[in-house]
Amino acid sequence: MSNNVSLAERRAMLLQAGAEVSRKVASILDPDRLLNEVVDIICDEFGFYYAGVFLLDEAGEWAVLRAGRGEAGAAMIAEGHKLKVGGHSMIGTAIAERKARIALDVGEEPVHFKNPHLPDTRSEMALPLMVGEEVLGALTVQSTEEAAFSDEDITSLQAMADQLAIALRNAQLYAQNQRLLAQTERRARLLAAAAQVGRDVTSILDLDELLNRAVDIICDAYGFYYAGVFLLDEAGEWAVLRAGRGEAGAAMIAEGHKLKVGGHSMIGTAIAERKARIALDVGEEPVHFKNPHLPDTRSEMALPLMVGEEVLGALTVQSTEEAAFSDEDITSLQAMADQLAVAINNARLLKELEAAHAELVRTRTFEAIAMVTTEAIHWVGNKASPILVSVERLREDLERLPQADRDLLDSMREDLALIEESARLIFSVQEHLIGPVREEKPRPAMVEDVVRDAAVALGIPESVVRYRIAPLLPLGRADTTQLRRAFGYVLINALEAMAGQETQEIFIEVAPTDDGRFVTVRIADSGPGIPEEAMDKIWTAFYTTKEPKHAGLGLSACLQILKQIDGRVSAANRPEGGAVIEIQVPVFDGDLPKAELPTGKSVLLVDDADPWSRFVERTLTAAGNRVVRSTDVVEDPGRFDLILVDDVLEGGDSLAVLQKLREAGVGDRTIVVSSGLRVERTTTLLQQGVRDVLLKPYTPDGLAALLTNP
Amino acid sequence: MNDEVRILLVDDEPLVLRSMEKTLLRAGFDVETADSAGAGLAAFEAARDAGEPFHLAILDLHMPDLEGQDSPDAGLELLRVLLQADTDLPIIVLTAYDEVGRAKEAIRLGARAYLVKGREAELLELVNEVINP
Repeated sequence: MSNNVSLAERRAMLLQAGAEVSRKVASILDPDRLLNEVVDIICDEFGFYYAGVFLLDEAGEWAVLRAGRGEAGAAMIAEGHKLKVGGHSMIGTAIAERKARIALDVGEEPVHFKNPHLPDTRSEMALPLMVGEEVLGALTVQSTEEAAFSDEDITSLQAMADQLAIALRNAQLYAQNQRLLAQTERRARLLAAAAQVGRDVTSILDLDELLNRAVDIICDAYGFYYAGVFLLDEAGEWAVLRAGRGEAGAAMIAEGHKLKVGGHSMIGTAIAERKARIALDVGEEPVHFKNPHLPDTRSEMALPLMVGEEVLGALTVQSTEEAAFSDEDITSLQAMADQLAVAINNARLLKELEAAHAELVRTRTFEAIAMVTTEAIHWVGNKASPILVSVERLREDLERLPQADRDLLDSMREDLALIEESARLIFSVQEHLIGPVREEKPRPAMVEDVVRDAAVALGIPESVVRYRIAPLLPLGRADTTQLRRAFGYVLINALEAMAGQETQEIFIEVAPTDDGRFVTVRIADSGPGIPEEAMDKIWTAFYTTKEPKHAGLGLSACLQILKQIDGRVSAANRPEGGAVIEIQVPVFDGDLPKAELPTGKSVLLVDDADPWSRFVERTLTAAGNRVVRSTDVVEDPGRFDLILVDDVLEGGDSLAVLQKLREAGVGDRTIVVSSGLRVERTTTLLQQGVRDVLLKPYTPDGLAALLTNP
Repeated sequence: MNDEVRILLVDDEPLVLRSMEKTLLRAGFDVETADSAGAGLAAFEAARDAGEPFHLAILDLHMPDLEGQDSPDAGLELLRVLLQADTDLPIIVLTAYDEVGRAKEAIRLGARAYLVKGREAELLELVNEVINP
């Protein structure tokens, strides 16, 4: 600045330069760009050697150099150059005292801190940058001329510094607003995506389709790299992956990927704690479970899927970006997860409803048929009964008549026989053909036990029958009383086919079908086989190749019974000779209720060693009871809390066993079980003084119900 | 002697009633019939009051009950009432209901036997057993 310019002119020049600076910086809204450019603008307008901007740190302790002209500035910023507020530096004191400071010949000024980067400085001014009462930092301007600034200059330059402070503050506010705006926009975007997902998933009612499409819908709406849905297993111990995006998902599902609830995984903890979990850089988060199928994951969120108080499972979403999720995102993403949970619950409820409805329809149908047949049986019984009784009386009366007219009397005897035969046939039909639907609904049953009971109950000697029973048979679904009758009819047929033969062999094989939908029972005999022309007809009622007295109802009744339970039956001739009847009983595919078995009891099981008695022993022992199995009464039966007797015993009649038990005074704690209950046998057994006569249970809950039966 | 033995036969099916009555009469028993639970109870009480109680009752199950309503459990209800009045009275249920549940209930209530119509060939034998144990 030349000395021969007047003071007024000087002031005008400074103000003008200051106005130029202000004008230029006012339009820069980016605070970083503002800082960088302002030092150049100031030096250019004022002709200074150097200008620098210091801003206070968070604590307000240090003034950190944030912009500086030229290489010197860059070097000092790189070093992290900062000056203590209230310290010896001009910047430090300018900030602390909120007043400009001037050093005119830098060599003499005691507060000056000689700066190796700026060796040519001969004059320096430090101006505080203030907005209202708040100090943002300070501006340093340096000149190579001595005494470059006067006290009057302070006013003009401070005006410029004030404008700069305002511009800086504006830029900072603007940047903050932009951030808030971005955040708000992001939140709105996430909520919109949540709403979109919600709309899309709630319209899918099929559970499997819902799960598979949800992961795609979610990834598309949010731009995630991967999403997966875990659902809790029945016991609530494991979260099993049920849907996963892409090949990674498919591979993990095929492997049966599952995570333990409450275990170390994010999914496991999210479920156990019922709270979302975030891992921002997947390498560092301690609960993260590094997944070889998803190597590009850098951020992950696990969200519990909850409906009310119930946790269904969890949703995992993964991004290839680090820090892709913030705590604020949890709210919107959880909203989306909640929608998904509701949709899953709805789909599940619908499935249960459909199953319950199907069961209800089956039950209603069964009940309707049962009612009609019960009444039909009742009516036939009432009407046909007097016929037989009356025939008996007529027969007796015939014998009392004078036997003079033999031909007449013989004719009358024959007529009576015809009437009797017809009535018996009517009863037969009532019993065997109309009767299949009785008191029991089809239930889970050990088919191998029912067929064995049928054979033993018919008195077929052990030497005649051979068994081949597959291990691990599934339970069938049948009315066991009727099923046992069906097996009985087939066995009777087999015995009759072999009647008179020297070698009589019956071969019983029980095995599941390959598709696991049926249990097949093959009953083969060593008889002459079924004549080809009869193959189609054997299933018709009243067809018989035997004498006229034989009603020919057995196989027809068998067919009826199997049809009733959606089973199948067919006949063939074996290559090695003899006929084989193949009966297919549908497998029980429902859920078994939880069994509340008693514990600490001692039980005597009077039965042969067969699959059913093994089932009882196993089940009761596992529940903490003591079981003794024997084919006859043991010593001191009074020491047992409960005595179970199988009505069908290979070694003899269970009635003998029951008599011994009654004599020992333990009838009241004895329960007789049978795979098939008939009126006559049941009343006989009940009159032995036992507590009850019940159907054999084939499931743990059935066994529990029997044991807690008062 | 059988003709001192009085049997009460209760069934609402006239064919059955008449047929059974004839069979029992021919066997030498003194038979009285009733076609409903109400009539059966009345007959029982009248006989008791006249000093000529029944030695045995044969009851059907499905008939008009004590209120006159047709019911499949009318016979069981009558069974209960009769046994309350005379705990030693032997009662045989003779019914067309071939049902294990009903059979068990009848036996538990105290019936001596549960016979299904059409399979009641042993009835007379049973009656004799019950009368002369």
